[in-house]
Amino acid sequence: MYNINIKKEDWHLSLEKLLSTYEVFVPVKDEYSLDYEPFRLPEAGKIAYNDPKPATPLKNFFLPVRENVTSARIEDKPRIIIGVPNCDVEALKLLDEIYMEESFPDPFYRNRRNNTIIISSDCFGINEHCHCLTYGVKPYPTGYSDMALVADGEDVYLKVFSSKGEELASQLTASNVMTDTSVVTFLEEKHKAVEDLLTSRNKGLPDYMTTGMLVQKAGNGIWEKYSSKCVSCGACTTICPTCSCFLLIDKPGFEKVKQMDACQYPGFERVAGGEDTLFELPHRFRNRYMCKYVWRPQKFNAIACTGCGRCIEACIGRINKNELFMELV
Amino acid sequence: MANGKNIYKPVRARLDEVIEESPLIKTFVLIPEEEFSFSTGQFIELSVDGIGEAPFTPSSSPLVTDRLEVTVMKTGYVTGYMHQLKPGAFMGIRGPYGRGYPVKAFSGKEVLILGGGCGLAPIRSLLFTLEHMRDDLEKVILCYGSKTPSDCIYKPLFSRLNSIDKFEAYRTVDKTEEGWDGPVGVATKLLDSIKINISDSVAVVCGPPIMMKFGTIRLLEMGYRDDQIYLSMEKNMSCGLGKCGHCMMGEFFVCKDGPVFTYKEIKHNPDIWK
Repeated sequence: MYNINIKKEDWHLSLEKLLSTYEVFVPVKDEYSLDYEPFRLPEAGKIAYNDPKPATPLKNFFLPVRENVTSARIEDKPRIIIGVPNCDVEALKLLDEIYMEESFPDPFYRNRRNNTIIISSDCFGINEHCHCLTYGVKPYPTGYSDMALVADGEDVYLKVFSSKGEELASQLTASNVMTDTSVVTFLEEKHKAVEDLLTSRNKGLPDYMTTGMLVQKAGNGIWEKYSSKCVSCGACTTICPTCSCFLLIDKPGFEKVKQMDACQYPGFERVAGGEDTLFELPHRFRNRYMCKYVWRPQKFNAIACTGCGRCIEACIGRINKNELFMELV
Repeated sequence: MANGKNIYKPVRARLDEVIEESPLIKTFVLIPEEEFSFSTGQFIELSVDGIGEAPFTPSSSPLVTDRLEVTVMKTGYVTGYMHQLKPGAFMGIRGPYGRGYPVKAFSGKEVLILGGGCGLAPIRSLLFTLEHMRDDLEKVILCYGSKTPSDCIYKPLFSRLNSIDKFEAYRTVDKTEEGWDGPVGVATKLLDSIKINISDSVAVVCGPPIMMKFGTIRLLEMGYRDDQIYLSMEKNMSCGLGKCGHCMMGEFFVCKDGPVFTYKEIKHNPDIWK
C-alpha cells in the first residue's frame, strides 16, 4: 500500500537537499536510451520514473567492472538509486546470497549494499524482450528494495519497505501521509495492463522451472545451432543482472584486482596443463543456460534469470534465448 | 578494513627451503608471517608477487603449524615462476579453503588410498594425519602410480610407510626405467592384489582426472558403495570463496563445497570427469 504522497516538485527539491549527504541516481531518458544518471535539479524533467528499463543492470552499482580489492578505500558516501525495475531487484537476491554469505562476505559489496537505498518502481510499459512475468517476477515492486515509487502527473507516491526507506522518508519535506486511495485503483489498472501485455507477448514461453528441465535434457544439436552465431563477446553476461563471475588479477605488492569475467570467454575454466572443459563454443554456450536455469537455482534460494531480456537486446549475433526455448518446448 | 577481514588479501609467507622432488616437481617450505593452520585436504591459493596465484593442497602435516609445505608441478605460467623462486623470497597465501577429508569419520576403518602423479602431494598430508590417528584405524593402504620411476615424488615416504604398523604402501609405474624391478601398469592394477575388508573401509582417490575416473569405476566394481569413495576434485579455483564461478562443477563450487566430495554427492553430474 502506497502511504506517502509528495508533489513531484517537492520530491525533486528534497532530492536536491539530499545531495549533500547522498549520491542520487535517477533513470534519465534521452533520444538514444534510458539509463541511470546522477540527479541534477535543472534536468529533473528528463527523469523517466516508470519506463522500462535502464540499460545498465543494477549489479553495476555493487560490482564494478574492475576494482582493486586489497588496497582500495571502501567508499562511505551513501547512495540512493531511484527507478530500479523489479527484475533487477529480484536479481539482487542471488547476488546477495553469493556476496554477503556469512563465511566469506565481500567487504566491498557488503559496504555498498549497506550504504545504498534502492527505490524501485513499477513498469508502466514493456520493452520488446521483457518477460519477467513468465519467470514469476512481477513488473512492479514486491519488496526487497527499500522503497517503491510511482509517479503520476504532478504526484509522486512512495511505499516504504525497509528501515532504510523509513529513515529516508523522514527526511522528505512537504510529504503527506496518504489518505486518498484512488492511486490504488489507478495502479491496479496499470498493473493489469502491463501483465496482459507481457502475457500476450510471451505466449507459449515456458516458465522458469520448465525451462530448467528443457535445458537439462536438451541435446547437443540445439547448442550447436544457436551458438553458431555467437562470437563469445560476452555482451549477454556483461549486461545480465545476475551474472557476477570474476577473475582475480595479481599486481605487485600482493595486490589483487577483481575484474568481471564470464564463462562465455574462452579459457574461463582452463586449468594448469591446459585442459579446458569449456573449450568448445557450444559447451560454453550451454554452460550459461545450465548455470542460469539449472545449477544456480539448485544451489541458491534465488532465480538466476529474471526475464529482463537485456541479453537478447545486447546480442550482436541476434541470438534470442527465448526462440531457443520455444524450439525446445 | 572496516567490518573485519578482507577475504581477498593474501598473507605473506617466507620461502624457507625449496626441495627438488623430480625434474618438474618442487616442494616449497613456507613460513607464514601470520598464524596459519589447515585441515588435511583443504587447499590454499599460493601467489607469486605480481604474477598470479593458483590453488594447491598443502603436502605437509596439518599438525605442524609454524610452517607449510606445498608441492608444485611446473605446468604453466604461474608454476613456471614459482619454480624460479629461491629461499628468502616471499610468496602470498590465501586460505585455507574448502572441505577437506572427513578424517574423524575414518575412525575404526580400513583406509584405501589410490593416488597418481602429483596427487601424492595432498595424499602425503592425509597420510601424516592418518599416521597421527593410527590407533583409531584398522589399516591404511596406499596404492600409487607414477608415469616413470623418476617421476615418483617423496620416494623415501614408501619405505617409511611400510615400516609403520598398520600401514602398507605400493608403487607402480606406467613406463619402466633401468633399475626398476617393481610392478608396471596403471595404479588401479595394484588394487587387484591388496587385502581389504571393503564393507568396513573407505577409499580416497586423488590424481589426474583419467585416473580418478577409472579408479572410481574399479572401486565400484570391487564393491565399494558410492558414499565410501572420496574424490579430491581439481578445477580452476580462482577466488577460493565460492564467488568467482571458475570452479563450477554443476551446481557445486568445487572450492567451497569441495574439493573433497563423496562420489555419491557428485555422480549425478555427467561432467565431473571432464
